[in-house]
Amino acid sequence: MATNELLSVEGVSVFYDKFRALDRIDINVGAGEIVSIIGANGAGKSTLLKAIIGQAGRVEGRIQFEGENILGRATADIVAAGMMLVPEGRRLFPSLTVEENLRLGWAVGRKGEFGFAELWRLFPALEERKRQKAGSLSGGQQQMVALGRALLANPKLLLCDEISLGLAPLVVNELYALIPRVKERGIGILIVEQDIERSLAVADRFYCLLEGRVSLAGHPREATREMVMKHYFGL
Amino acid sequence: MAGVWINQILQGILLGGLYTMFATGLSLSAGVMRFVNIAHGDFIVLACFLLLILTTSLGLNPIVATLVILPVAFAVGFGLQRFLLQRVVGENVLLVILVTFGLSIIIENGLLEGFGADPQKVAGGWMETATIGLGGGINMGLFQVVTFVAAVAVVAALDLVLYRTGIGAKIRAVSDDVAAADLIGLSSVRIYAVAMGISFVTIGIAAGFMSIWTDFDPASGPTRLLIAFEVIVLGGLGSMWGSLMGGIVLGVAQSVGAQFDIAWQMLAGHLVFLIVLAVRPQGLFPKY
Ligand SMILES: Nc1ncnc2c1ncn2[C@@H]1O[C@H](COP(=O)(O)OP(=O)(O)O)[C@@H](O)[C@H]1O
Ligand SMILES: [Mg+2]
Repeated sequence: MATNELLSVEGVSVFYDKFRALDRIDINVGAGEIVSIIGANGAGKSTLLKAIIGQAGRVEGRIQFEGENILGRATADIVAAGMMLVPEGRRLFPSLTVEENLRLGWAVGRKGEFGFAELWRLFPALEERKRQKAGSLSGGQQQMVALGRALLANPKLLLCDEISLGLAPLVVNELYALIPRVKERGIGILIVEQDIERSLAVADRFYCLLEGRVSLAGHPREATREMVMKHYFGL
Repeated sequence: MAGVWINQILQGILLGGLYTMFATGLSLSAGVMRFVNIAHGDFIVLACFLLLILTTSLGLNPIVATLVILPVAFAVGFGLQRFLLQRVVGENVLLVILVTFGLSIIIENGLLEGFGADPQKVAGGWMETATIGLGGGINMGLFQVVTFVAAVAVVAALDLVLYRTGIGAKIRAVSDDVAAADLIGLSSVRIYAVAMGISFVTIGIAAGFMSIWTDFDPASGPTRLLIAFEVIVLGGLGSMWGSLMGGIVLGVAQSVGAQFDIAWQMLAGHLVFLIVLAVRPQGLFPKY
């Protein structure tokens, strides 16, 4: 698709025992492109991100990152090659300090130019709290740490799983305001959301998942609300 | 009269140093991986026999011999976790316990086969016999004092590794949330193996001191496991400085108990353990 293709997912299926959570999915993301995956609860969005990062159980199909096969490779290798996940529910390490959580992102990552100086510029609120236990932060601040941890890995492709989950609208606005700034750095972003409007507003392209299949794909400008609703709920 | 009791308390504190060494590695592995290595004590004894061979057959100085086995101990712990225990970890706690219980029996019987049931000891030379007199009839064995100082150093070093280094943060992260660690590319399998390797280094150090301090035979392991277990429960699971306090509490309880009646030595330790467990199940210095 794009000439600067970063990620290509072709005919990917994921199984939990006999249950097929994803059914021959095709998706791609270019460098500096924001691609949004929408879908109802249980559609298979998190499963898709886990398959890409190498943490889903049984996966079939092809997954390529910068033209190289990554299916079957260890997550640690994939992360070091330039991909990082902001997991659903943030998944910080609560007994570690904010700074320690962030350092882990740097430790597992690609060691690029995005360091702590850039991080504190992006999240000034975190610098004051860097010695606090991550578990003591508010939900919004924790999500900033999760995003910051991922950025410190210097990903070429950032995977975000429902970063708005359980946060106040104002906080979500703040987080989403950062997404274009990440894109400016040339990072490709794959955003998973249940919140349709929010994620379509920032996306260059989108895919809608329904019961493990891509039910709709396209550009947010060209998609009408009715069309999206129909393919989101499968009505 | 008071001098006798002061002396017993002092000896108990020093004994606590040895007990702390039995416990730190178990505290680390159990705190991080959430299972108790039932063969912990047997590995200490196995290392003691290894030291016996190195000091007698090869004629190595006991300190040199201990330094020699430390890297070996790391490799054994790393390999054991990576290639055996990792296969069962996470599936069912009972399974891991059974596997390590099996290891315990294998080690015990293997040593019995190779060395017989007689008690053995590593000769510590002048280190063992030198004493430091404090007056008033109170004497401390130089070796006991060195052991205690070494125990403090081990605790301080482990605490430093856990709380001031990158690998320490990774170990604590995996202990917090294994699945989250794997999701962000911190390979929990590798970090578990490193943690077990570090745990086994403390086993090697503990063996270095125990093999000179006291007699050992192939069946000595389970008692060491029990002591280590009581120390970490007393001190609080995963807390390194807690282990030192737990070791001292247990050592003093035994030593003071023995002053009443020598038959009371072990019993007094167990009693204090049970009382603390009942009153403060989280231990004296809980970390988790
Ligand atoms: N570890 C798992 N084991 C079994 N089934 C799972 C597992 N994870 C997810 N599923 C199932 O796979 C489907 C997709 O889940 P998920 O990817 O989490 O959806 P989403 O993120 O879109 O809400 C759901 O039906 C869910 O129940
Ligand atoms: Mg999900």
